[in-house]
Amino acid sequence: MTDDRDEVYRKWGRVVRSEDGTILHVDEAGEASERHGVFRASPIAGEAAGASPLPAPDAASVDRCVHAILDRGDRSYQVERLIVTSGIARHETNGVTWTEETQRLHASLVVPPLRVLIDLASLDVAAVDAIGSLLGRAGDARPAPPRVRLAPAIAAALLPHLIGELAMEQREGARDGKGQPVERRAITAGPPPNWYRPSYAIRPVRAWLNLRALPFGSIDPEAPVAVGLLSPIDGKVLQVLCVAGQSVFPTTLEWGAVTAVSRDEPVWHPYEGGSFGAEMML
Amino acid sequence: MKPGSGVAGRTSELRRSALHPRGAEQFAIVSRDELWVRGALLESRLLHGQARFRGDVIEARDTRDEALLRTCDESLDAARTIVAGLRDARIRIVARAVREDDRPAMETTMSITIDGRSVVTTPADAIADYALLCAVVARTPVDARASLPIVWLHGSASVLLHEAVGHAAEEGAGEVAWPEWLSVDTPLASRRATFRDVPQPRMTHVIARQVGAPFVVPEARIEVMLIGGGAYDPLTDMVTIHVAASTCGRFTIRRPRSRIAAALRGATGEPIRYPGVICSREGQELYVTSHAPVIITDPLT
Repeated sequence: MTDDRDEVYRKWGRVVRSEDGTILHVDEAGEASERHGVFRASPIAGEAAGASPLPAPDAASVDRCVHAILDRGDRSYQVERLIVTSGIARHETNGVTWTEETQRLHASLVVPPLRVLIDLASLDVAAVDAIGSLLGRAGDARPAPPRVRLAPAIAAALLPHLIGELAMEQREGARDGKGQPVERRAITAGPPPNWYRPSYAIRPVRAWLNLRALPFGSIDPEAPVAVGLLSPIDGKVLQVLCVAGQSVFPTTLEWGAVTAVSRDEPVWHPYEGGSFGAEMML
Repeated sequence: MKPGSGVAGRTSELRRSALHPRGAEQFAIVSRDELWVRGALLESRLLHGQARFRGDVIEARDTRDEALLRTCDESLDAARTIVAGLRDARIRIVARAVREDDRPAMETTMSITIDGRSVVTTPADAIADYALLCAVVARTPVDARASLPIVWLHGSASVLLHEAVGHAAEEGAGEVAWPEWLSVDTPLASRRATFRDVPQPRMTHVIARQVGAPFVVPEARIEVMLIGGGAYDPLTDMVTIHVAASTCGRFTIRRPRSRIAAALRGATGEPIRYPGVICSREGQELYVTSHAPVIITDPLT
């Protein structure tokens, strides 16, 4: 960005995070600006830092979620990593002020030698336990089924990799990193209209936000379904936990064409600038 | 959430590192981070804050410690004077002043990148390490990839051992049979990247030494000069090393830890300072000084 205007962004944030059993309460405020091509970020000093006191985030929900997962009855899988967050943030830039509340859950569940990675924008204990229970039943690896459904969470993780390869839209909602409303747009090869700013200390970049694949085709409800990611997506390869009837097994999908996208209401997931997952078929 | 309601006391199924002693009761940090590209400043960040334990809970705020700020600024000023002499590179300077309980410490690192390859150094060694980086970048890989013995130059074996010995120790991995001629010092301390991070048991440094492990340099070999990154997975006991510069270019090694240990064939000389390991784990980037002698391994590609 080479704009000579002094664009100032300010953020006040409070977060409660449980990280593998340790609880943090973080309270901070920062500002960022860009001028003559130089990006600068620093904490807001003095009175301004306390000018917009925020309510405390929902620590009780974090506590309940962590205890529910660690106190579960199903011991067929282990929780290797568990990070649960509840936060509230106030943003101010370009004459606009807005407030966001967020919840995030990251877990890795293991049954050696398998590990399932879970990233949710809600403290959905049941979703974690459902995937963990399937992991606990997993057998030996099998070849990829010829046709496979991707559960919404897997589809959401894949969407950022499909820009330019699948008809998608940016769904409207909230504001971007420069205070502009995020409007519904068809995703094109051109520059995205909005800006992604995950932290005040990170230089914002143009990005498509709130990705959603446009529904088409028909989902085969009898096809095996990939329910969990066994590793981060690497190029065109998906390592997944798959369910076919009563069988649960790890497999490797080399994804090519998406043959269908469900018309079900998609669920937002915290991948990159956000993506709405709905069932898809490969 | 009330103090003491944490689950740290019954997290036995979570990562072993979560069970480590929690470290300093009070932590303060001021850091400055600047990105320079071809002599021009592109990004500048200031971070400050303090964290303290209250029962099992860490309370963290962006409070500023003026003494740490002065120390940090002085160190950054000194590092900036070096940037002018490295105008064809991308340089990230991080000056980091911390206080853990009553113990202050200062650390300044410079990540220097040319043509996608990097060294991580300190102001004291920046000129020499920049020269090494220039020499490595100018060298054209000549050998086709082949299954050849590997000679680890410039202390680069310390990165292999950082993953296979250091991170394995952090995770409480089982024993493997390391050669008797090799000793590797990877002390763990409770460390954190910022005031908003949970302290974890992390390596402070890696120093590998050898005694009586001479080897004959094979005519056909791969010479490794720079490492681009690495990883250790406690679930599979697998070590991954991304070689960024060698006589046969870039390649990746992915082998079980036992296979790495069995492949170590010999070593020569005193430990050599490797220019740079920024260890990124659980989202926390920490500098780890690393030294190793020249080491030879069986083919690992």
